Order: sequence, then structure tokens, then C-alpha cells
Amino acid sequence: MSSQIPSFFSNDIVLHVEGIRKVYPNGVIANDNVTLSVLKGEIHAILGENGAGKTTLVNIIAGCIKPDAGEIYVNGKKVKIDNPRTAIKLGIGVVHQHFILIPTLTVIENIALSLNNSGFRLNLSKVKERIIQLSNLLNLKIDFNTKVEELPVGLKQKVEILRVLCQNANILILDEPTSVLTPIEVEEFFRILRNLKEKGCSIILITHKVKEALSISDRITIMRKGRIIKTLTPKETNEEELSLLIIGEKQNSESISFTNENNNTKKILLSVNNLNVRGDRGELSVKNVSFSLYSGEILGIAGIAGNGQKELVEALTGLRKPESGTIIIMDENVVNKKPKFLIKKGMAYIPEDRIGRGVVLTMSLAENAILKRFEESPFSNKTIMNKNSIMNYAHELIKKFGIIAPNPNIEVSNLSGGNIQRLIVARELSYNAKILIAENPTAGLDVRATDFTHRIFLDLKSKGVGILLISADLDELLKLSDRILVMYNGKIMKEFNRNEYDIYKIAKLMLGIEVN
Amino acid sequence: MIELIISLISITLQTSAPLLLASIGECIVERGGILNLGIEGAMLIGAFTGFISAYFTKNLLIGILASIIGGIAIVLFFGFLVIEMNLDQVISALAINLLSYGICIYFFRIIFSQGSLPYISELLSPIPIPILSEIPIIGMILFNQTIFVYIALISIPIAYYLIFKTRYGLSLRATGENPSIAYRLGVNVSKVRYIALIIEGIFVGIAGGTFCLSMFNVFDVRITAAKGFMAVSIVILGRWNPIGVFGGALLFGFAEALSLWIGTLIIGPISASISQLLSILPYVVTIIALLIGGRKAKGPASLGAPFSRE
Ligand SMILES: Nc1ncnc2c1ncn2[C@@H]1O[C@H](COP(=O)(O)OP(=O)(O)O)[C@@H](O)[C@H]1O
Ligand SMILES: [Mg+2]
Repeated sequence: MSSQIPSFFSNDIVLHVEGIRKVYPNGVIANDNVTLSVLKGEIHAILGENGAGKTTLVNIIAGCIKPDAGEIYVNGKKVKIDNPRTAIKLGIGVVHQHFILIPTLTVIENIALSLNNSGFRLNLSKVKERIIQLSNLLNLKIDFNTKVEELPVGLKQKVEILRVLCQNANILILDEPTSVLTPIEVEEFFRILRNLKEKGCSIILITHKVKEALSISDRITIMRKGRIIKTLTPKETNEEELSLLIIGEKQNSESISFTNENNNTKKILLSVNNLNVRGDRGELSVKNVSFSLYSGEILGIAGIAGNGQKELVEALTGLRKPESGTIIIMDENVVNKKPKFLIKKGMAYIPEDRIGRGVVLTMSLAENAILKRFEESPFSNKTIMNKNSIMNYAHELIKKFGIIAPNPNIEVSNLSGGNIQRLIVARELSYNAKILIAENPTAGLDVRATDFTHRIFLDLKSKGVGILLISADLDELLKLSDRILVMYNGKIMKEFNRNEYDIYKIAKLMLGIEVN
Repeated sequence: MIELIISLISITLQTSAPLLLASIGECIVERGGILNLGIEGAMLIGAFTGFISAYFTKNLLIGILASIIGGIAIVLFFGFLVIEMNLDQVISALAINLLSYGICIYFFRIIFSQGSLPYISELLSPIPIPILSEIPIIGMILFNQTIFVYIALISIPIAYYLIFKTRYGLSLRATGENPSIAYRLGVNVSKVRYIALIIEGIFVGIAGGTFCLSMFNVFDVRITAAKGFMAVSIVILGRWNPIGVFGGALLFGFAEALSLWIGTLIIGPISASISQLLSILPYVVTIIALLIGGRKAKGPASLGAPFSRE
């Protein structure tokens, strides 16, 4: 297959976008003259780092946002997609980066919702027939009357794909679908995609992972800073070239060096004993968990989201009351202590939910930077804030942590995800914490911001900080951790020392499959 | 004694009817994620348009029709504020309640500028349903009521069917849980919400009509007596389910009926003050019921939250 964009009138083009431009109200040019063709029956990867504008393009094709300029052609005909209904009718099925499922409705109801069949009465049994027909294709065997909120994330994704198939879509757009899957699940997912391709579907696979794009797609289009850089076939390129095209410049890519020292000489910073924690719905989410975190180590907790990690972190950070068990920080049981006390004890926390827990969006960068220390001098004298010293301090952090912001007064809601993360890291590290609890710290971050975060962690480790790294990204854990605990269904399944790492064993344990 | 109890139950149905109608309407819009606290004002408008029309045409059915139109108009105006203008739902409701109050006082004074208090000479009379009304005891209670009671009772299965058994109902529930996801799934969120509001307008309008067309033959801006707000509480107690709402409306209606009923039992010099004291009963029940039953209430996830397309 040629890497050139085929002739515009070719019969094989199912989707063509021409000159798409989108400028967000905050001035970000997310899409700039984007032109792209998708052929019948191809898997077309769109590859680009975070913030390249991939999701924006998806949303425009899906009819969720209006472009400022540009045209869309489906099967050679010019179309105007001004709401999601139109896109669905045109056979465009989108699995968004953030799932669009209503948690309190059942699988059938969720799918019925998006189907365009007529009639006043709700005919769920007809929908169910169709679902069962198509579910074989996905190897999906679940009770379709379960509420979506009860499904694990991998199944939710299958439900999304099922929905798109039920809509009779022949153009599938999948936005970062693999970011929620374990390595084993990714393999199965790719098999499904190939299957669908055989059936004549065209698939647009959005990803920021070079390896994936190379392994599955027929053509790869690289996007950077809102523009299309190039379209290639996997045969004519390689990992390195693609990485360079994505980033657009040579990075200082000295690889991170890992040093592993013996734990014997180190002291225990945090020890958790027989901890039991209940979740929001009263179910036991953390079951009899015990472990110790030493100074100068990174202890990884592997597991698929929803296996108790959230509740564990909340218990450790004082946000949730444990059912039983102890949490000992430097010889003191801190169960039932408030977050403020834990902060004083030297605990820092980088939450997964950056927006909800990490920052106050409507406050300025400077205000966010001192959120945990606003009662201290020189920021305030207990009653009145000292504006000058806060500003100076914020300027300092901006410089030291490379936060891209015009000035410290900017509202945090105007910062990009990567910069919000830098701000959180900057704040959490500013009070010389001894224990750092990091929850999926690089989820959704681009290569550069991820690299930055990893370097900081290793630097902290060398300074004797103990880091508890809870991550759904196995590669990250394998790269950084001295030890890995695998968590499944609220229990610690197994502990791995660095010399015992085995990605398949760990992945299996994450799925609850026992290994010896 | 048995007659007294029959009359108590019968009064309960009458006092429940406006509560039931209003809370069924509110239940439907809240399922779609809109909290219409302007329901009190909408009820008042329904009472007012019903009264005026019935007064001038001397036709009570035209009165009911006018109540419906008044109800729809004011609820749609609320919809315009929150859907089209994307204004805050609580603030819009506040405006609607004040506006309704103002409209009623203003036009009432203009229309009836002088003379004695206007009244409707004849109220809607009960319609006995043939055969059924002749069943001993139950027939008198259930099948010899005003049209409002019948409409209120029928509204329960209608609302239930609409919410849980129709495609519209599914879109409505999805919209209430998460309008932006529903939108992305192809639901026309604005249309779904406008339809819900129109249905609420009909029910709330009729609820207003019950006051001036079947209970009292005069109009006063205090006539709705916070029944709209009670309806909002009933929806919470009824867990956003028409059947639960029915139970809640009966409870509140019973409290009111009880206060009226006891009032008629006591004779003598203190009877007036006791019945005044008892009229506080429905409001006390509201507070107690909300304190007990409102505790674990979990409504549609996006109830009251703003939604805009992008
Ligand atoms: N709703 C929005 N308002 C303002 N800026 C946005 C919005 N959504 C995305 N952006 C910005 O647009 C750029 C492209 O984002 P996005 O399309 O999400 O990229 P990608 O999916 O490739 O990571 C980023 O800089 C992002 O911060
Ligand atoms: Mg994206």
C-alpha cells in the first residue's frame, strides 16, 4: 500500500477530512489544517503525544464539537456533522477516551439508548437479540442485564465497542483504547480489531504508543501540535523514526539509570498491618493488606483499576477510615489521623484525579502552590497572606519545575494536564516529604512530562524518600520499582523483587490468575 | 364511626390529588436532571388561569383547560431560562416563583379592580363512575370523586410506563444521570427536557386548577400554600419513582385531611383554635418525613447541574 494520500475521488475512501481547524476559547489551536483520508477496511493509527490534538479531531468527526473551518466527506459525499446523532447515522462509531456509558443503566439499556430505531415502546428484547449476535465477535460473555457500573474497565470497553457495532458503524474511531488494558488484554483487543477489519470496517486507532501503532496498523498518521506531520506505512518506518516525528526534536534522551541498593541498611518509613478498608458501597475493598515501605525505595503496586488501590490510597492519606488494621509512620499509628497531621508527618500525595483532588481549578497557580503551607511563614502570619512572598515562591517553582504558564496569577483551569501535574509535583515536593504516595502519576501525560516525573522520583529515591507508586501502567512499574506488589480484588497476591520481575506472571496475577 | 373513616379516606384522596399531580410532574422532569423549584409558582399560575377562565366563561372544563395552558406556559418559560439561556436552575426557579406571584397579584387587581370578592358559583362536582360507585364502602371512597382525583390516579401508571417502558423514558433517565454522555450517545437532550417540562406543565397546571375549581371557589395568592414545595419533597421521599411518589402524596394528603377532619369533629368554643393549630400538621409531616426518609435519597446523578453542548 502506498503511503501517499490516495486520490480524493477514490472509491476506497470512506472518510476524508479536509482543512479542519479548531481554536478553543482559551486560544489553544488544537487542530490546524488537518487533512486525512481513511480507506475502506484499513486500520489507520493516528499517533501523537499528549495535547497533539487527537481527541479534538475525534470529537469533531463525532459531532461533539464544531470545527472553526474544514470539511468532512463520508463515502465521497460532503456531510455536515453538527451533533453526535448525525455521526451515528452516518455509520461513524466512536469509542471515546472517556467512556460514554451511564453507570446506573444496564448494558442493554446503554446500547439501546444509542440505537436509532423508531417506536414509542422500549423493546429491550429486540436489542438484546442484536447484542447477543454481535457479542460473539468480541468474545464477550456477560449478563447483559448487569448495570454498567458493576463491570471492570476492560469489559466496559468491550461494551463500548459492542455499542458501536450495534449502531451498524462501519467507521470505528477508538481514542486511546489500550490505555485501560493490561498487556494480555491488549493482545486480545488487537485480535478483535483485525477481525473487524476482515469484516470490512475501517478503524481509526488513536494512540500515543509507538509500538502499538507499528504492530497493528496499515497506515500511521503522525500528529504534532495540532497538525498532520506525515502518513507512513509500518513497513517503511521504525520505532525510532516515529518517536522523533512525534516529538519533533531531538530530546536529551540519556536513559534513566536504575540503582538498586540493599534494603537491610534502610529504615522502615511506613508499615501497614492487616489493613481492611471498605469502599463506597460498604463492600470490603482492601482485605488484610500488609507491607512496609523503606527509605530510599520505590515500592510499586500493580493492579487493574478498581481492585482496591483507590481505597488503600485513601486510607493511607487519611481520606477514608479503615475498618481495621494499623498504619504506622515512624513508630506512630496514624489510623484516624487527619490529612493535615499526615502532611506534618512528612507524607506527600500525588493523586490520580489531578483535577478533582490535586488542584483547585478556579484558583491561581500561586494559590495552588501554597495550598498545603499557607499557614506558614513567610506566606502568611496566621491571618493575613503575604502576597509578595507567595508570588516569589510561585515564580521559583515555575522556573524549577518547568511549568509553562504566562504568570503565577493564571487560573489553574487554563493550564494543560502536563503542567498541572508539574505544579502538583512541585507543591508536594516543596515540604521535604519523607513518604510520597503517587497514584497513577503519569496517566494521560505525554512522553516528556512522564520522563520528567520519573526523573523526579528517582532523584527523591536517591535522597532517601520512600515512594509508594500505585500504577496501572506495568511498564512504568517495571522501570522504576525496587519491589512490586500485585493487587487483585483487594488482596496482595504476591510480592516480586526486582530480580524476579516477569511481565506475564504479573499480568496474570493482575487478572486474578494464580501463578506459582 | 365507619362513615367518619370513609369521609377521612375520601378527603385524603381529594387533598392528595394536587400533591400527586404536581409531584408526578416534578418526578418526570427530575428524572431528566432538571430540578424545578419553580413548581410552586407554576401551580399558582395554573390556579389563576383556571379561576379567571372559569369565572368569565362559567364553564369549569374551560377552566381546567386554561389551568393546563397556564401551567405549560410558565414551566416552558422556566425551561427556556435553564435550557436555552443555560441559567442556574435554582436562581431561575426563584425568578419564576416571584414572577408568578407578581403576575397573579397584578392581573387579579386589574381585572377585579372594584366590587366584592369574585367567586365561582359552582364547583366541579364528583363524578360517580357507573356500577363501580355502587360497591359498598369502597365505591363511595374511590369511585365518587372529582375528575381531578381520577386524573391524579391515572397519572401514576402513565408516568411509570413513560419513565420505564418507553424509549423516551430511557433517554430521559440517561439525561438525568449524565446529560453530556447522553448527548454523545445521540440523545437530543434539549428536546427530551422540553417534553418532560411540557408534561410537568400539564400536571402542575391541573394541580393548580384543583384549588380553584374543586376545593375553594375563590382565588387568593396564598391558595397553593407551599404545596409545590411539598411536591418536591414528595419526589425525594418517593425516590423518583411514581409508585413511591404515590405513597408520599398519600401521606401528605392524609396529614392534611386529618387536620381538616379533626377540625370538624370538635365542637365548642375552642374548635377554631384547635383546627388552626392542626393545619400546621402537613408541614410538620414534611419536615419529619424529609429528616427520616430524605437521608439516603439518591436522585439522578446530574440533578440540577448545568449542561451545555460543548
Ligand atoms: N475544552 C478545551 N478547552 C480548551 N483547550 C482544550 C480543550 N480540550 C483540549 N484542549 C487543548 O487542546 C490541545 C489538544 O488537546 P487534545 O485534542 O485533547 O489532544 P490529545 O488527544 O492529542 O492529547 C491541548 O493543548 C489541550 O490542552
Ligand atoms: Mg486525547
